[in-house]
Amino acid sequence: MGGYGDVQMIDENGIRVDGRTAGDIRPVEIRAGVIPVADGSAEVIWGTNHVIAAVYGPMEAHPRKIQKQDRAVLDVRYNMAPFSTTDRMRPGFNRRSREISKVTAEALETVVLTELYPRSKIRVEIEVLTAEAGTRCAGITAASVALADAGIPMTDMVISVASGKINGIVVCDLNKEEDNYGEADLPMGICANSGDLVFLQMDGDLSPEEFQQAWDYNMESIGPVHELMIEALEKANGGES
Amino acid sequence: MAAPPVPELLRAHLTELAKNDERLDGRGRFEGREVQIETGVLPRAEGSARVVMGDTIVLAGVKFQIMTPYPDRPTSGGFMTSAEVRPVSGVHWEAGPPSPAAIELGRVVDRGIRESGCLDMSDLCILPGEKAWQVILDVFALSDDGNLFDAFATAAMAALRTAIIPGERFDVGEDRPLPVTKKPMMCSYHRVGGRFVYDAVRREEIGGAERIHITLGDDDHVHSLQKGLKGAFTADEFAEIMDHARQRCAELRNMIE
Repeated sequence: MGGYGDVQMIDENGIRVDGRTAGDIRPVEIRAGVIPVADGSAEVIWGTNHVIAAVYGPMEAHPRKIQKQDRAVLDVRYNMAPFSTTDRMRPGFNRRSREISKVTAEALETVVLTELYPRSKIRVEIEVLTAEAGTRCAGITAASVALADAGIPMTDMVISVASGKINGIVVCDLNKEEDNYGEADLPMGICANSGDLVFLQMDGDLSPEEFQQAWDYNMESIGPVHELMIEALEKANGGES
Repeated sequence: MAAPPVPELLRAHLTELAKNDERLDGRGRFEGREVQIETGVLPRAEGSARVVMGDTIVLAGVKFQIMTPYPDRPTSGGFMTSAEVRPVSGVHWEAGPPSPAAIELGRVVDRGIRESGCLDMSDLCILPGEKAWQVILDVFALSDDGNLFDAFATAAMAALRTAIIPGERFDVGEDRPLPVTKKPMMCSYHRVGGRFVYDAVRREEIGGAERIHITLGDDDHVHSLQKGLKGAFTADEFAEIMDHARQRCAELRNMIE
């Protein structure tokens, strides 16, 4: 976390730099079926974040050593396009993208009924086209819609959102400026129906009360996003989801 | 009839169609798919475009960096093209370092732009011998249903023509448009069912043979050629597609600002 505490990011009325109040998320748009050649796909525009997810499979898993005898493996790749950031991002995997790919795969494996497809592989490709802050959350959300769009059986949909702290105040869904000056970040992946958590990270400094507030903001944010996911899937799949 | 999935059968099917001068999607031999070009689609890029040709969708983004000029050309900036065909764009594209196919794509697109001289490298000099702009063009496939070459080249030109040199952000003068004086355009042809067709879809690429890429500048000057994959063609065949390329490149050029 940057921790430049002297920069005022929230005014005396509790209004943030982009006009939101503490508990508001950025404007969200979701579309499904955006990549014609994929088995399933989705686009999430979350504030300025623009993330695309494509799903291919289930298909034969190769090399054979990656196969699981009792279930499918989720082969998840999170990647930032070279033009997604202010300074050009050099192509290729780095430690950050590998870690995000790993925790995203583990989150999604929890809801996908992988045991229906033993020895196979489901490819989930997440591409960040424009990054603002919270790309891993937008990526998990997009992947969830893409899996559903591909007709992969799942027990639940995962929505991911992060809350954090700026100027000592807990706020939901930090944008880039807030993230740069933020003092904490708590991204969570929450199942829409069960409310279970399948993804959790945190860095920074939160008191027990602040932590609870951040947790609650995240839990309260997912409902409206879940509705957008369902609308997108219904639109892309002719009224049925 | 749907195209057969087995390559041998697909080839036979394409040959059968070619006998009646037909194609998989009902297009004429030299008829391209509808091309949609949209610019300004990537807020973090200094110039950008999305090109949609049927089910093929690509993006191009232009970024700038400050470089030290090469010792033998102290008053010149630089230009670099990088093509990424990430596995998001099709089941046949795999993860890992750029494949030879992706590298060829980037290099052919790069040559057409570079050799046309549409970018004035000396205009990119900031301080001779010390500082110059490097223009980095990233072309990125989102959905590959064939002919990424032309989609990339078209998106590249549209993105470059709208690029703004970010002088203020790098503290080296004012923001200004990147001068791009010409519009080199690419047309690609694949041998499908024994004869060349323009703007092949993915299944025509799979069931086809060699391909030829032609980049023509303003006034029909030739700036880059590439023959790819196994196969031989005659001088007459080349003359025929070159004729078509002249006409089609002019049409594409008019679609770009």
